[in-house]
Formats: sequence, C-alpha cells, structure tokens
Amino acid sequence: MTISEQTKIELRELMSRYPQSRSALLPMLHLVQSVEGYVSQEGIEVCAVEVGLSTAEVSAVASFYTMFKRYPVGKHHIGVCTNSMCALLGGDNIWRTLSKELDAGHDETTADSMFTLERIECQAACTHAPVMTVNWEFMDDMTEQKAAQVVSDLRAGKDLQATRGAKVRTFKDVQRTIAGFDDGLVDEPSIDASMLAGLNEFKNSTKGGK
Amino acid sequence: MTILANSNQPKSNDNDLITAVIDGIAVRVPKGTLAIRAAEMLGIEIPRFCDHPALSPVAACRMCLVEIEGMPKPQPSCAITLTEGMQVKTQNSSQVASSAQEGVMEFLLLNHPLDCPTCDKGGECPLQNQAMSNGRADSRFEGTKRNFQKAININAQVLLDRERCVSCARCTRFADEIAGDPSLELLERGAKQQVGVADDQPFESYYSGNTVQICPVGALTSAAYRFRARPFDLVSSESVCEHCASGCSLRTDSRRGKVLRRLAGDDSEVNEEWNCDKGRFAFRHLMQDRITTPLVREHGELRPASWPEAIRYAAEGLRNQRAAVLAGGRLTLEDAYAYSRFARVALGTNNVDFRNRTASSEEQDFLTNHVAGTGLGVTYQDLEDAQVVVVIGFEPEEESPIIMLRLRKAVRNKTLKVIAIDSANSLGFKKLNADLRLTKPGNESAAISELIKDLQDQNSIILVGERLASSHGAFSATVAVAEKVGARIGWVPRRAGERAAVDAGLLPNLLPAGRKVFEPRDREVVASAWGVSVEHIPTKPGLTQLEIISSAVQGEIDAIVTAGVDINDVANHAAFAAALNKTFVVSLENRASSVIEFADVVLPVGAITERAGTFVDWEGRLRTFDAVMQESLALTDARVLHLIAIELGHTFKDDAKVTSLRSSYSSLGAVSKPGTMNLVAASTTKTGLVLAGWHHLLDNGSLQAGEPHLAATARAVVAKVSSETAQANGLISGNRVIVRSKLGAITLPLEISEVAPETIWLPLNSEGSSVAMQLQIDIGAEVSVSDGGAI
Repeated sequence: MTISEQTKIELRELMSRYPQSRSALLPMLHLVQSVEGYVSQEGIEVCAVEVGLSTAEVSAVASFYTMFKRYPVGKHHIGVCTNSMCALLGGDNIWRTLSKELDAGHDETTADSMFTLERIECQAACTHAPVMTVNWEFMDDMTEQKAAQVVSDLRAGKDLQATRGAKVRTFKDVQRTIAGFDDGLVDEPSIDASMLAGLNEFKNSTKGGK
Repeated sequence: MTILANSNQPKSNDNDLITAVIDGIAVRVPKGTLAIRAAEMLGIEIPRFCDHPALSPVAACRMCLVEIEGMPKPQPSCAITLTEGMQVKTQNSSQVASSAQEGVMEFLLLNHPLDCPTCDKGGECPLQNQAMSNGRADSRFEGTKRNFQKAININAQVLLDRERCVSCARCTRFADEIAGDPSLELLERGAKQQVGVADDQPFESYYSGNTVQICPVGALTSAAYRFRARPFDLVSSESVCEHCASGCSLRTDSRRGKVLRRLAGDDSEVNEEWNCDKGRFAFRHLMQDRITTPLVREHGELRPASWPEAIRYAAEGLRNQRAAVLAGGRLTLEDAYAYSRFARVALGTNNVDFRNRTASSEEQDFLTNHVAGTGLGVTYQDLEDAQVVVVIGFEPEEESPIIMLRLRKAVRNKTLKVIAIDSANSLGFKKLNADLRLTKPGNESAAISELIKDLQDQNSIILVGERLASSHGAFSATVAVAEKVGARIGWVPRRAGERAAVDAGLLPNLLPAGRKVFEPRDREVVASAWGVSVEHIPTKPGLTQLEIISSAVQGEIDAIVTAGVDINDVANHAAFAAALNKTFVVSLENRASSVIEFADVVLPVGAITERAGTFVDWEGRLRTFDAVMQESLALTDARVLHLIAIELGHTFKDDAKVTSLRSSYSSLGAVSKPGTMNLVAASTTKTGLVLAGWHHLLDNGSLQAGEPHLAATARAVVAKVSSETAQANGLISGNRVIVRSKLGAITLPLEISEVAPETIWLPLNSEGSSVAMQLQIDIGAEVSVSDGGAI
C-alpha cells in the first residue's frame, strides 16, 4: 500500500490547523492508520518529510503511544479492560474467553485478519464495568456471553451498535475520526444517566449546592 | 564563597548573584545556576547519569535527588535552579537524599545485566562506580530481567547493547542538540523504552563517536574498540588531533606502545568536549604501513640502510644542487620551522612550498599579509559571539567539523546568522540554517562584493577556506569587503599543518613568523635566531610548488626534499611524478606513500604519537603536545634535517630539539598589523559547465586507512546538479552521470540538488570520485557531462 496524493493533501490540512506543523503529528499518524491500517514505515517517512522531522523522531512518537500500531491491525480492534475495577467484575474472564475464542493473545491479530485483541488500560467508564471496546467504541456491562456475541456478530457482518454511541464501523474508519475528520456522528450519545449519577448526587448534596 | 560564571552558565553581574546553602555551606552563584553545578563548585559530588553540562537538563535518571527545604519530596538537583536562600541537602547531610539515591540506583539496576566483567565500560563506568558509592549492597528484585538481542548497530561504527541502557537520553540529546543529527531517539515506553534508530536510517553523523564517550554506562560502544582492552591497562595521554585545522584536544589511550582508542579532550576554548569521528577513530595510520628503517636506492631498488649511511647519501645527493622543498600540509610548527631553515640555510634556496593542493599567487599574497605570524586571530569564542559569520569556499561540517559545532551552538541560541557562499547546499549548511548564496565556481568575487549590505554595522567574521584559492579575485574581494565593513577574517585550511607551515615560512617569499624574504631587516632577525650569518639566507626569489614541478620537469631543479606529500592529491600529479622521476628525491616519511617509488633516500620519521610538537589550529592557537609513546626512539623531521645539515657543513644555534625550535620560533615574535595585499580584479566569468566540489570529511584520505567501520559511515558518493542543469544537459536523476575532462572521466550516480547554475558538484576524493587522479583538473575547470544510463 502507498500513501496517496489525496492523503498527503489531508496530512497537510491537519498541519495547517496548528501554528507549528509538528504539533499535528498525532492526528497525522491516526490518519496514516486510517489508510494503512497501522503506522507503516512509509507513513512514518511521509509524516517526517511533511513536518520536517527525522524518521527516528517520528518513530519515537509512533512507538510511544499505544494507540499507534506498528503492525497491521485486523478489520476490528477489540479492547478488553483488565484494570482493577473491570478485572474484578469479570474483565479477566472476558479476556480469557475472547483470547481463546479468537486464538489470539495481547496485541495479536487473528489469522483471518478480522480481529486484533488487546488488553487495554482504564477507559474511565468504571460505572459500566466490565467494559470492552470495539474500534474504541464502548461496549458496556459486558459478560463473557455478550462479549462472545459481539465477536460473532462482527464476524457475521451484522450491524452492531455501541452501548452508548455510534454504530460500530471499522478500525480504519474510526482512525479517520480520531485524526479529526468529521464523520457526521458527532451528535451520537455517549453519556447516560448512570454515568452522571455521581455528579448528580454531588450537585444535590449540600456541598454541591453551595 | 562566590563562584564566577563560566561559559556554561548564564552571564551575570554582581546584582544577579543569589545566595543558597548546600550542605550547610553558603554559596553565591549567578541566578539560574543549577543546584548540581553549584555543588560541583563546592567540591560536593552528587551522583548523576543524565546530567551533562553541555546538554539541556532532563532529569531523566533521577540519580541526583537531593532534599530541598520546603519541598515535599526529594528533587533532581540537575534540573533545579537555585533561588535566594534555598537550603539544599545532598546525600552527605540528608538521610532522605541518601536513601532516595539508593532507591533510584536499585531501580536502575533492576534490568541492568551486571555484566561488568565482559563490558568494555567496566573499570571506567559511572554506573559501576556510583553503584558502589551510592547504591545498596544488594537488590530486592527477584524477577526476570528484561532481555534484548545483543548489540545492534546504530551505525557501522557504534553499537548499542540495549539491556545496559539506563535511558538517560544523553546520546539522544547530543544527537539533537549538539550534532544536529536527530536520527537517534528513545523509542517505545515504560519497561520497553530503548534507544534506537528508525528502520530506514542509521545514526548518520560525523559526530557519532561522542555518544560512546558520554554514555554513562556500557550501552554504546565502538566497533573499533569493543572487546579490545580494559581501561585499567591503558595509559592515557593528552594529545592533539592531526587530521584537520580544528585543533581538537584529544585523549589517546595506548597499551604497550599501541594506540587502542582516542577520545575527545576537554578544552572549553577549542573543541569544548567533542570531536569528530575522523579524529576519534582514524588512528590506524599511526601503526599501519610504517617504514621502520632508512632506505636508499641502489641499482634501481630501495634497500634498507643504516642511519649514518642514509644521511650521508642524502647529503651527497643534495650538496650544491638546485634544490627545492615540498613540505605538505601536515607538519608540526617545529618541523615546519626546521624545513624552512633547512631550505634556506642548508639548501640555499627559497624554493619551498607546503601547498600540495590547489593554490594561487593571490592566496600566497593573502597568507603573507593576513595570516603569517599574526598569532591568535579570530577564535571559536569570537564565532560564538558574532552576529554574522560568512563562510566562503568552506563547508564547516566537511572541512573543519568543530567549527560547525561552535557555529551551530550560536545559531541554536539565536544569536548568530550564517551566510554561505558556495557551489552547493549541504547538510552542514542546512544545520546552520545558512543563508546560502549559490555561486558558480569562479564567480565568488562578485558574490563576496555583495556582502557589504549584509555586514554593515554588524559584528561579523568572514571564514575563508582553502578552496577559495581556485577562484581568481576572491581573496581580494574578501579583504576589500572586510576592510569596508570592519569584519575580521579567519583562514581555515583543511589540513592540520597548513597554518603552522605559513607561520614557519614554508612559502617562497616568507621566512618564519611572517618575516619576509625580501626585507633585509627580517632576514637579519631570522638569521640571528638561527645562529647563522645573514648571507646564508638566500635573496633569490623562490618557486611555488607548481613552479618547482614544472622547473624540475624541464631539468632546472636537481633535487627535491619531500615531507609526507601524496602526489595524487594534486591535479598535475603526472607532472609531479615526472619531476620526482627526474630529480634526486629525499623523502621524509612515516608510512609508505606515493612518493616512495621515486625516492632515492627514504628517511623514516616518527608518527605524531611518537614525538612532541605543536599544531597551529585555524585560529592561530598553538596546540602543543607531548609524545604519547614516551619510550619511542623515532626521530622528528627536524632532527633528521639537522643531521643532514650537519653533514652538509651547517650548524645552528640550537640542537633541533622540539623545545629549542619552539623557543627559537617564539623569539621571533608576532606580526603587529596586517600587511597590504595587492588586490586583483576577478577574471571574466566562465561560460559553460564547470566543476565544483569539496572533500567529504570521511573519504579516501590516506590518514583514514585501515578503518573499515569508520569508512562505512561515510556519506553517499554522488554527483549533484540543479534540475535546470540536468535538463540542459540531458541528465536524469537516479541515473549515472559521466563527467569528463580532457584527461579522464568519473561516473557516479546523479542527484538533483541545490547547486549553482552551470555547475556539477563532485566529492573530491571519495571512492570512485578522485577528481585529481581521474579528471586531473581543479575545481572551477570546465567539464562536459553526459547521461551514463540507469544504475
């Protein structure tokens, strides 16, 4: 695969959003992921040339952040939170189930390139623990059965809705959104009453009412 | 106690001093001083890895934690600037600091392999030393250590053992901040964090060896030194680099008479604490292909001879002959002084020249009036303090790499603007953010005249390189501009001995210390310093190297004394060979060279490590050094010349020992003001395609012999033209190009680049591109080009 002229134009558009073009490097690398499926060597070279950094400097950034992948990601990226809260509430079991089901370990892709599985860190949605993400969209209050169902639905090509949010698309599609290009889904819900429960409790208390 | 600001500290006056207390000792320092620096000045040693005075603070290793009153946690002293009244307690007076440091050390050692017995750093390792002085006796870690594949190459010369790294980021900061080659980086994160390079690009830097020297652990090693020695078996000697005119101070480490490695010496006025990879790694020439006994030619063959026989043989060949001296550009001041004296007194001639390269009479006039005997002129510090530095016919990174580092330091501080007048763009010019005035060779004079508007009312310096000798009128234009705007001029030759050669009078019109052959008073002064009568200094005008060669070919010179010259360095090498063939040749050499096959007597002299001497760097600074191999019996050139002179019946006031030559030279004093150069007008512009080029720092130079790892880090050998020139001449980027002179051709891959119009740029002495040997022309000469087909 090669980075097209159209992508280069979009990379430059991202650069134009910042006073210093190198500030655009993170969204640029997401855009690379949206066309290549990962941060390819060519993508690193193109970004380095565009922002005027060395390829080592761009590699340093690309390898520092775990959301940048240095190998081809499957069509769907599945994240299972295994931090304390989710793990205790079943995250560890979900991880084991999916890992067995997909025959893939942490940061590994299935043989059919459909899924990449990753143990992820806290997603700040402990209200709905255990959580799982599909292409970084939340699947809340998971169980082993529900998680397995998500995977089999995706494999079957069925439409899937994030618990509080947009219809699940592909890893590449979502990377384009993260890069900062409008996907028309900005008004999809992302917060529900249970996530606001704590805040509301605080507001209603005497302390919060002041 | 009050500490004065040094160059690594903020400039200050008395009002900017603050008082802080370290371990109960009050210290007055300039505002902005780091706690660790102030502690150093008090003689308090705080352990550290990432801290380096020349690099920006990062507080990456956390080893230098100290307790500061009022702060809740221990703080890294390498990143804390002292404030008025600050109370700092180091490990010497604080249990908190001391146990914090022990904790950090235990942490750093978690993943460290503790392979000191097989590690090159063992014995001189800050990690090893500080683990003993500031660490716990044992570790509580029982897990499995992180493993990496053993040494990986970050370039052909430098190897990285990642498991030893403590992620201090000294090497990566050096690459970015000092060298300007940011292709070495910290990759990954957390427990996987590691130094590395991008997949497509090794750490290509002329300064890469410095990372080995500043690595505080054994993570970075050089292919040349790896597993060769233990530090405690080495004898370290201070020395001076023999490669270029930068004049770096070096540390040479040897064992049983053999040099094992060289490191950058610490000299704040010159190289600070850096050097280039050539100076660091190219030392095999000191030991390779050495000539060990005198040789004399008998029945057409060179055979070993005793010293008395060889000296007698040389003296007989030179006696009452029309002789000349070709001294080359690599002599120490003392040796150059001895050649100057030997030519005048023992050979009775002013036929002496050191310029075994492109040279001109205009350059000679410039050297005579603006360089010879002027002592310390423009300095490194002056470059740093200037507002504008113009470089003309001089690419700092390739031709004097420490100048490049100093210029870059000032450019990074945003105090200096660099203007370059040259034929092509380069990585060095880019790193200096230079305002490049692309100039076709031969047109420099016009470009220089236009500098007036840039330099008016500026503290400016013009650096001119040896390549300018190929451009008629360029030295004159430089002098005229400099006088008009009050700029100072620095002459930067490429070879380490050229400035000393000028100062010692190795030119046909010059005597030592800027004294002139045609000034009776100067002749008297010099004769008295030498202890000879003034009649012994000839008044007959001498010949330059070019003239000596053509005269010899015509049979007007009978004998030539050479000092380590390589005939293949000059375009007229065929005539040079013919000249040597026709004459009686006395060659003073330390290694086999291209002159030997013509020599009638070869007299082996000591390599630079085997004798004391003085190099004069481009600033005019005397860089005096002692012999590294104190026990060596090798002779200096001066001593050998002295023996021949005695055989010829000449004696001098002194005994030709290095120290006596040095004091004899210094007794002549310095020139107080520049002379008046005869300004010449530029000749008319050449039409048509001309040759441009310079020497890559790493190339086929004979002093780089036997260093395969170093050679593998040399830059790509390509020809460069502008896209317009390519189009006009039917050249295709990525194809080969054939460059032709009347006498030969060079074929190289073509690169479209920023090059002056009607100009093709070639590296002058790289693999497959030896311009003097193959094309037999100088830069500025006309060439023809054609497409050489796909590669």
